[in-house]
Amino acid sequence: MDQRGQARLDEFLGALLFAGMILALYMAFLQAPREKTMGDLQRIFYFHVSSGITGLTAFAVNFAASVMYLVRRNRWWDHVALSSAELGVMFLSIVLVTGPIWAKPVWFVWWTWSPRLTSSLVLWMLYVAYLLVRNYVLDPDRRALVSAVFGIVAFVDAPIVWFSIRWWRDIHPAPMLETGGLSPSMRPAFYTCWAVFQILFIYLLRRRFFLEASRQEVEWLQRRADMVS
Amino acid sequence: MEKINPMNYLFAAYVAIWIILALYLYSIHSREQSLREEVRRLRDLLEKKSRQ
Amino acid sequence: MPAKVWTIFRKDLLIELRTKDSLNAMIFFGIVVLVIFNFALEAIRESIRAAVPGVLWVSFAFSGTLGLNRMFAAEKENSCLQGLLMVPVDRGIIYLGKMIAACVFMLLTEAVIFVFSLIFFNLTVWREIPYVVLVCLVGTLGFTAVGALLSAIAANTKMREVLLPLILFPVVLPILVNAVEATAIILNTVDYRQLKLPLTIMTVFTIVFATLAYLLFEYVLED
Repeated sequence: MDQRGQARLDEFLGALLFAGMILALYMAFLQAPREKTMGDLQRIFYFHVSSGITGLTAFAVNFAASVMYLVRRNRWWDHVALSSAELGVMFLSIVLVTGPIWAKPVWFVWWTWSPRLTSSLVLWMLYVAYLLVRNYVLDPDRRALVSAVFGIVAFVDAPIVWFSIRWWRDIHPAPMLETGGLSPSMRPAFYTCWAVFQILFIYLLRRRFFLEASRQEVEWLQRRADMVS
Repeated sequence: MEKINPMNYLFAAYVAIWIILALYLYSIHSREQSLREEVRRLRDLLEKKSRQ
Repeated sequence: MPAKVWTIFRKDLLIELRTKDSLNAMIFFGIVVLVIFNFALEAIRESIRAAVPGVLWVSFAFSGTLGLNRMFAAEKENSCLQGLLMVPVDRGIIYLGKMIAACVFMLLTEAVIFVFSLIFFNLTVWREIPYVVLVCLVGTLGFTAVGALLSAIAANTKMREVLLPLILFPVVLPILVNAVEATAIILNTVDYRQLKLPLTIMTVFTIVFATLAYLLFEYVLED
């Protein structure tokens, strides 16, 4: 796609995102029914779970891009890997901040070391570590290789983390999607929020990708300019 | 214990979401901005070179 | 292949036995951690036995990180890494040799730290020792399986000593959690059948990451 096509797509995605976000807020706050026991507090759920799923999607994208980089050795995949890891950390930060805010009035504690909370926190730390690794390797080729290796290690680690602490007492509500326990009247709102977060992810991923691509191009130009002068 | 209106928590959660999103967008934006400045600097440098 | 792994391992072992650079530091640091925990856990002196597994593994992990940090940093300092890379063997072989060396150093350290913990925390163990050895062996293999790979990654960055613990601990968390769990079962319960679950998870972890690191190591050391 040429540059104008990309800009067009960006505009389209931006407009879609804007409309979608308003719709998502409407669905989460007004359309969805009031939950019986938790009341309006349950409305945190729609954005909390949507960003959780989006964060996991981002880490899966990071894993795929890391593998592809090792196979193809194309910088394009490294940009995707970096962008998705950063976004995954951002979305998981939303999960980790909204979680305690929901937990305080419902469980009467901010934090509890239940498997789901602990694994989310560890997952967040794994990808912060990934970003740290990237930060401290100076050579671009080496950075891409090493971080691809770390990205693969982190993604393989995630399920093992989950299984190794799963026997701890879990008071987190079971994922409604696995158990099918989400009331049908809440489903439209949830699916809308989920879809809007996926659009948000794609929009931000593209933006972060082009930022990284131009950053590397500018770095290359700088080296050229240094040679000239 | 003082009973806090649960609506405050709902409000706080959504405010937090918007703050995190806004901070991230701002960080992307400022990085884009500094890149643009760098491109401008490089272009000026090249023009100066070519005039010499 | 085992002969080549043995050669790399023997090289590290000989260097270490001649200089004793990291081993001394590892052991001393482990004991320092024990002493610090002794102050930190002053409040629960009565039930200290319950906290010992956690204290032990924190001390093992910290001193192990110290050793792992030295492993590739020392190779870099004297430009030995280039020499090592010129050896006509698969990079995976280098990884296995390094990993086994790190594992042996850690196990030696753990043995000393364990003896000191018996004294400091007034524990009496006899029957438990074979089980503790088993858990230490599996746990340390898992720890160094990831540790040797990440140590090679960290050695190539500008902040190597600082970076390694930051990236290592989140990844080896399953090992630490299960090793603490298993050690607690050994020291504080009588039903050893419960050991099966943590030992299985640690074994799976070790096999998965040793294989993965064996395959990916060439990318980390590529020049």
